[in-house]
Amino acid sequence: MFGYYLQLAIRNLRRNPGLTALMIGAVALGIAVCVMTLTLYRAMSGNPIWWKNDVLFAVTLDGWDPKQPANEDKPELPPWQLTYRDAMAVMESDIPKHKVIMHKAVGVLSLENQSVKPERALTRVTTSDFFAVFDVPFQYGGSWAPEADRGPEPLIVLSKKMNDKVFGGANSVGRGIRWEDREFRIVGVLDHWLPLPIFYDVNNGSLEEPEDVYIPFGWNAAMELNSAGNTNGWKPEDIKTYQEFINSESIWIQMWVELPDDASRQRFQAFIDNYVIRQKQAGRFQRPLNNRLTKVDQWLIDNDVVENDDRVLVGLAFAFLAVCLLNTVGLLLAKFLNNAAITGIRRALGASRRQVFFQHLVEVGVISSIGAVVGLVLGGLMLMGLRALYTLDPTDGGGTQALAHVDVTSVVTALALALFATVAAGLYPAWRIGRIPPAVYLKAQ
Amino acid sequence: MTAWNLRPIASALWRNRTGAMLVAFQIAIGLAVLVNAVYVVKQRVDKINRPNGMDVENIFVIASAGFAKDFDYETSWREDLATIRGLPGVKAASLVSNIPLSGGGSSSGFMAQPGEINPETAVDGNTFDIDEQGVAALGVTLAAGRAFEAHEILPATDAFDTAPQAIITKPVAKELFPPNGDALGKTYYDALNKPITVVGVIENMHGSWVGWDKLDHVMLFPRIKSGPNGVYMVRTEPGRREAIMRTVEERLGTSNPGRLLRWVRPLTYFEKQSYLSDRNMAIFLVSVTSALLAITALGIFGLATFNVSTRIRQIGTRRAVGARRLDIVRHFLVENWMVTTAGVVAGCGVALAIGYWLSVQYELPRLDLYYLVGGALGIWLIGLFAALQPARRASAISPAVATRTV
Repeated sequence: MFGYYLQLAIRNLRRNPGLTALMIGAVALGIAVCVMTLTLYRAMSGNPIWWKNDVLFAVTLDGWDPKQPANEDKPELPPWQLTYRDAMAVMESDIPKHKVIMHKAVGVLSLENQSVKPERALTRVTTSDFFAVFDVPFQYGGSWAPEADRGPEPLIVLSKKMNDKVFGGANSVGRGIRWEDREFRIVGVLDHWLPLPIFYDVNNGSLEEPEDVYIPFGWNAAMELNSAGNTNGWKPEDIKTYQEFINSESIWIQMWVELPDDASRQRFQAFIDNYVIRQKQAGRFQRPLNNRLTKVDQWLIDNDVVENDDRVLVGLAFAFLAVCLLNTVGLLLAKFLNNAAITGIRRALGASRRQVFFQHLVEVGVISSIGAVVGLVLGGLMLMGLRALYTLDPTDGGGTQALAHVDVTSVVTALALALFATVAAGLYPAWRIGRIPPAVYLKAQ
Repeated sequence: MTAWNLRPIASALWRNRTGAMLVAFQIAIGLAVLVNAVYVVKQRVDKINRPNGMDVENIFVIASAGFAKDFDYETSWREDLATIRGLPGVKAASLVSNIPLSGGGSSSGFMAQPGEINPETAVDGNTFDIDEQGVAALGVTLAAGRAFEAHEILPATDAFDTAPQAIITKPVAKELFPPNGDALGKTYYDALNKPITVVGVIENMHGSWVGWDKLDHVMLFPRIKSGPNGVYMVRTEPGRREAIMRTVEERLGTSNPGRLLRWVRPLTYFEKQSYLSDRNMAIFLVSVTSALLAITALGIFGLATFNVSTRIRQIGTRRAVGARRLDIVRHFLVENWMVTTAGVVAGCGVALAIGYWLSVQYELPRLDLYYLVGGALGIWLIGLFAALQPARRASAISPAVATRTV
C-alpha cells in the first residue's frame, strides 16, 4: 500500500508543479533559517562541556571595592577573576579532584634554526590540570607534571594547528621550541579542540579559538608575564614592580575546579569561605561574604555570553518557522481540496477515511522530505554567508573560523524539529480531506 | 455600502474560513516581526553612524613586537617613527598606548577635588598615552587649547600612570567642571591625588569600547607607550592610506630582525570589528524579515488563487448576469483586504507585546507607535499586490463558463 501511496503522491505533486514548488520552498526556507539560527545560537551560547556541567565550577571571591560592586549591572556577583595571591592561596586546597589557575599571555614562538617565520602566539599560562579539567584531547604526549608548575620547568604544549604549522603535523614531542627568549621542550600536542563559546576565559569575546601554546603557571612570576586578557583593579595602588603587581588587588587569574559530588562541593565552599574570613581579619575583603562556585551554564549567563541578541534571534527563528508552517498548512489544504473530486471517487469506490488520511500523509511526507534536503543545502549556504559576514580579515582566525565548523547536533535538532513540525502541519489537511462526503462530488459529475 | 457588497463577500469568506484564518495568522506574525525588526535595526544603524570625531578613513595602525634578548625598544621606536614621518603623504604619526574603537583600552576614575576617591562622584575617563603628534594623528578637532609639545612627553613606564598635563573631551570637561565645562588651564586629580592640568579640550572623540555609555569620555596623556611592543597610529593625506600602508609594511618588516611586525591595519578595521555584531544583527534582521514577508505574501497569493480556482463557475455566473470585470476584481480584493485587516488587528497586539519584551531586554524606550502605523500600511500594500494577479485572472473568466456543465 505504501508504495502505491508514494506513487500517487508523486503523481499528484507533478499535477501542479507551481504549487508543489511553493510548498517545498516554504518548508525548505523554514528549515534553512532554523538550522542557521540554531547553529549560530549554539556557537554563541551553548554549553560546550555539558557533560561536566554538574562537576565543573568557576571559583570567584568577592574582594572588590567596599563602596561598589565589581559589575554594577549585576551587583550580586563577585568579580569574574581572582587576584594572583588569592588564586595561589585557594590552590593549596586538596579537596577538588582537579583544579586549575591560569591566565592568557602572548609570546613570540620561534625555532632556533629560524626555519619557520617567528610568530606571535596566544598562550595560556596554566597549572598542569588544565587538560584534565576541560577534557582536552591530546594527539601526542600529554600534560606536564604538577611539579613543573613550581619549578618552573621549560615544558610546553602546542595546539594541533600550531604543530601542523611548525612541524607539518609530525609528532614533535621531545623537540625544542623557543617561546619569547627562552628554550622550551615540547611534552604534548593537542588534538582538534574547539569549545564554543570559549567558556573558561570570557574576557575577550566568546567566539575566540583556544590558545595555541600552553606553558606551566610558574613562568608568569619567573618571566614577569602580564595578562593578555583583562586586568582590572579598584584600589588606587602605587604599583611599580612585578612583585607589587602580583601582591596587589588587581584581578587577572581565572580558576576552575572539578568537584565530583555535593559533599566535596560543600567542603570546598567552606574552605574558600574560611580563607576569606581569615583575610577579612587581616583587613582585606571588606564586602559581604560572597564566594561562588559557578557551573558552566550559569557562568555563561552571568558573564553575558548568552546575549539578548541571541535570544532575539532564536525567537525570530521560531516566528519564521511558524509562518512557514502556517503557510504549508494553507497550501496543503488548498491542494488537497483541489483534488477533492478524485478523493470523492476513491471514497465512493470503498477507500476508508483512514486510508485516505494515510494516502495524504504520505504526500505530506514526500513534500517535507524534499523540503528538508533543499533546506539543508540552503542552510549550508546561509551559514557560509554568515561566516562571510563575520570575517574581516581572512588571514586571522578567531571567531570567524569557529563559525565554519557546522555543529552536527544543532543541525540534527533543527532538522528533526522542522520535519516533525511539517508532518504535524499536514495532519489537519489530511484529516479534513478524509471528512469530505463523497456524494457531493459525485453529484457534480 | 450596498455597492461594495460587503455582506456577501464576508459570508463567502466565512464559509471557507480555515484557509483565511491561516493567512491571517501569518500576517499577524509578519506584522509583529516587521515592526519590531525595523525598530531594532533603526537603533543599530543610528549607533553605527554616530560621529566618532576622528579622521577614521585616513588613519592606519602598526603593531610591532620586540622579542629578541638584545631588542632595544627606545632605539626601535625612534627609528620607526622617523621612517614613517619621513614618508611623503604622512600627515602625522604617534605612538599610542591603545587603539580607539578597538575594544581594548584602559579607564580610571578621576576627581575635580583632591581627596579619597569616591565611586559615586568620580568621573570616568578612557585614557590614552600619545606623543606630540598624537592629536594630529588622531585627526580630532580641538575646541580649546593646544596639542602636546615635545618637551612634555614623558618616558615609557610599565605601570599605569597619569601625567601632569592632559587633553580631555568636552563631555569629561562638563562633568569635571560643571556647568559649562570651562576646563582649559584648570586642574583635576587622579585616584592617587596627582594633579593634572588641562591643556586642551577636544570637540568629540570616541574611546575604546563602543558599547560603553561613556564612550566619549576620553583623556589623552603625553607619554611614550610602554615597551617592548610598539603601536603606531599614522594619519595620511586623503586617498593615500593604502599605498602608504604597503610602503610602511615593507620598510618596517625588514628593518629590525629582533622584532616582529605583527600587522598593519586601517583604523576602519577596528571600527568595523567593534560594530560587527550590530551590523550583522541589522543585516540578519533585514534578510530574515524580508524572507518572512515574502513567504506571507506567497500565502496571501496562494489563498487568493485557491479561492478563484474553486469558484470559476460562480464567477462565470456573476459575469453572465451582468457583473463587470471591475466588480470581480473588487470582490477578490475586498475579500483579501478583510483577511489582511483581521491579521493586522491581531498583529498589532502581538507587535506591542514583543515590543514591550524587547524594551525590557534591551532597556530601550517603548516601541514607537509610528512604526506600528507604518507597518500596518506596509502589510496592507503587500496584501493588495499579492492578491492583484489572482483577482485579475478571475476577472478574465468568460461568462460562457456558466453555461457549461463541468
